[in-house]
Amino acid sequence: WEACVHSNEAKAEGRAELIPSIKLRHCCLLRNQRCLTAYLYDRLLRMRALRWEYGSVLPANVRFHMCAEEVQWFSQYKKSLASFMRSLGGGEGLDLTQDMKPPKSLYIEVRCLKDHGEFEIDDGTVILLKKNSQHFLPRWKCEQLIRQGVLEHVVS
Amino acid sequence: MFITDIRKDFYEVVANQRVALLVASDIDALCACKILQVLFHCDQVQYTLVPVTGWQDLSTAFLEHKEQFRYFVLINCGANVDLLEMLQPDDDSVFFICDTHRPVDVVNVYNDSQIKLLIKQDDDLGVPSYDDIFRDEDEGEGSDSGNESEEGSEPSGKRRRFDEGAVERRIERRRAKRDWEARRREILFDYEQYEYHGTSASIMFFELAWVLTKDTKDMLWWAVIGLTDQWVHDKITHMKYVTDIATMQRHVSRHNHRNEDEENSLSIDCMRISFEYDLRLTLYQHWSLYESICNSCYTSCNFKLWTLNGQKKLQEFLADMGLPLKQVRQKFHSMDMSIKENLRDVIEESSNKYGMKDIRIQTFGVHFGFKNRFLASDMVHATTALLESTEKDESASDNFIKALDSLSRSNLDRLHSGIDLAKKKLMAIQQTVASCICTNLIVSQGPFLYCYLMEGTPDVKLFSKPMALTLLCKYLLKAFVQSTRNKRCKLLPLVMAAPKDVEKGSVIVVGIPPESETSDKKNFFGRAFEKAAESTSSRTLHDNFDTSIITLKTEDRSKFLDALITLLS
Repeated sequence: WEACVHSNEAKAEGRAELIPSIKLRHCCLLRNQRCLTAYLYDRLLRMRALRWEYGSVLPANVRFHMCAEEVQWFSQYKKSLASFMRSLGGGEGLDLTQDMKPPKSLYIEVRCLKDHGEFEIDDGTVILLKKNSQHFLPRWKCEQLIRQGVLEHVVS
Repeated sequence: MFITDIRKDFYEVVANQRVALLVASDIDALCACKILQVLFHCDQVQYTLVPVTGWQDLSTAFLEHKEQFRYFVLINCGANVDLLEMLQPDDDSVFFICDTHRPVDVVNVYNDSQIKLLIKQDDDLGVPSYDDIFRDEDEGEGSDSGNESEEGSEPSGKRRRFDEGAVERRIERRRAKRDWEARRREILFDYEQYEYHGTSASIMFFELAWVLTKDTKDMLWWAVIGLTDQWVHDKITHMKYVTDIATMQRHVSRHNHRNEDEENSLSIDCMRISFEYDLRLTLYQHWSLYESICNSCYTSCNFKLWTLNGQKKLQEFLADMGLPLKQVRQKFHSMDMSIKENLRDVIEESSNKYGMKDIRIQTFGVHFGFKNRFLASDMVHATTALLESTEKDESASDNFIKALDSLSRSNLDRLHSGIDLAKKKLMAIQQTVASCICTNLIVSQGPFLYCYLMEGTPDVKLFSKPMALTLLCKYLLKAFVQSTRNKRCKLLPLVMAAPKDVEKGSVIVVGIPPESETSDKKNFFGRAFEKAAESTSSRTLHDNFDTSIITLKTEDRSKFLDALITLLS
């Protein structure tokens, strides 16, 4: 629309030779706009993926790279995902972010890559995660730590 | 106490509990650990695996985990010391100990509640009877003299006045007690004097798996590797090795019992374990035949390859078999098939002529895929090299994890890197042996031979590790026995010292029993080192589970040695 206005003005003022340059400039602006929106959309998709990877609390170094609007978008996404998950399973709720790949066994063997201190599992027992110790633990408790890089799944 | 029914008294007890596994750093322990891990995976027993390298490590690991675990399984550690006194556990902690170290401490044998030993009782143990060592404190008048097992008690039929009678009896009791205590000290001294090894831990756990009918070929292979580790590192006698091989052979035939014919053949990728009466040439299938002959202890010592004469003899030997040098020096895989076919028989025939009657040894080999063939001894050398690798920035537990991984069939690249490290280690050992013999570094100190590796010696870093140093020690003694003309020196044991940590100024000292055909591999240096250290108040660290390996401060070396000489003369 702006391009039309400018070209009409050009015609009106009798400087018709400017019309192609106006059109070109306008195309460039449109293209830049498309690039920027594509970039912002890609960031959005990545932030959405972060929720599935890291959980509802993002690490500080990731949040540092997000602008205020993105943070706001992220919390809204979190809320809508949470309300969706709560509505599943007949009102009881189901955590979809667990078990992203079909699990092969209830317990997995993990190896500790760095000292992490004490770690509590469901039945209240505490395990000391020391570097290079190996443990055989319930899969669902380990997934978070595997994602964080503290534990490593040992496949033998 | 000894466990008789390993399934009921051990496995079913821990099956619903969480267990802490404390595993020592040797190959037998690693194999046993792998077998137990697979069993635990089957039954979803939650466990935590902690590698330990010595007594201090064991205590630290116990302290860290004692709040969270009630059941502890100790593999290849803990049997030869009073564990309850060392660890001071709570009353409800239970320890299952599967250890090859003998003698088993008497407290561990007779404790009924907290210590359960996963050890076979027919394993030549010679544990003193309870009454000889323990006695209930019973100062009362009517003490039952049935518990006292010495002579010299006065006949109690003598009648005297009541006072005198009571005094007499008290004196008698005191004398009897002194006699009993003296005899007890003697019995304990005899029992604990010599250190040796019993049935492999991995065989114990394999038999547990067999009783549970959960044994697989992988577990069988690990059990074989554990047994071969005991043989490679000279921990058991030849008789015992042959007996255990026969036991394993029964299991192998049981696993191989399938009707394999043209129609029902197994895929080439399946694991096949086979009994081999193979050559005693270390790693020969992964090296060239020539290198293997030069670097294997048996052939190197018999030919005396550190002398010119020995080299010539080797050339003659190869010529005698009709093996061209070019063939023999290239990688084993690339040798001509015509040579490889009858290689073992040809070598055996020729070595008989050169006085090497036992060039072949009973062992097992594994075969999976087209390329992957390994003998049990290859695996032992590779995994030991990984376990004791001296790369920078690698802690003991890093190495433990790497070695543990290399035992799985899916980690072949790790196994191959282990084989390369093992080759380097063997070459280093041979060169060190050659230089020690040629420069007469082994000195007779009277009751034993002594050798000290100076700091500048090439590859001396490799020998700061206990198993590598012990292997060097054994090869050196064999070579020395072959090369010396002094008949008396041939019967002496060897003590060897090498720098362990140059910054801290410590050396590692190892003692091995004398070399003989019928050696029972019993080592008295554990006690000897302790006494020598005590008498000179040298700063020593008896941290290793094998008591014949200690760490010593460099400055205290000479006085420690003098004390040892006086002690053993």
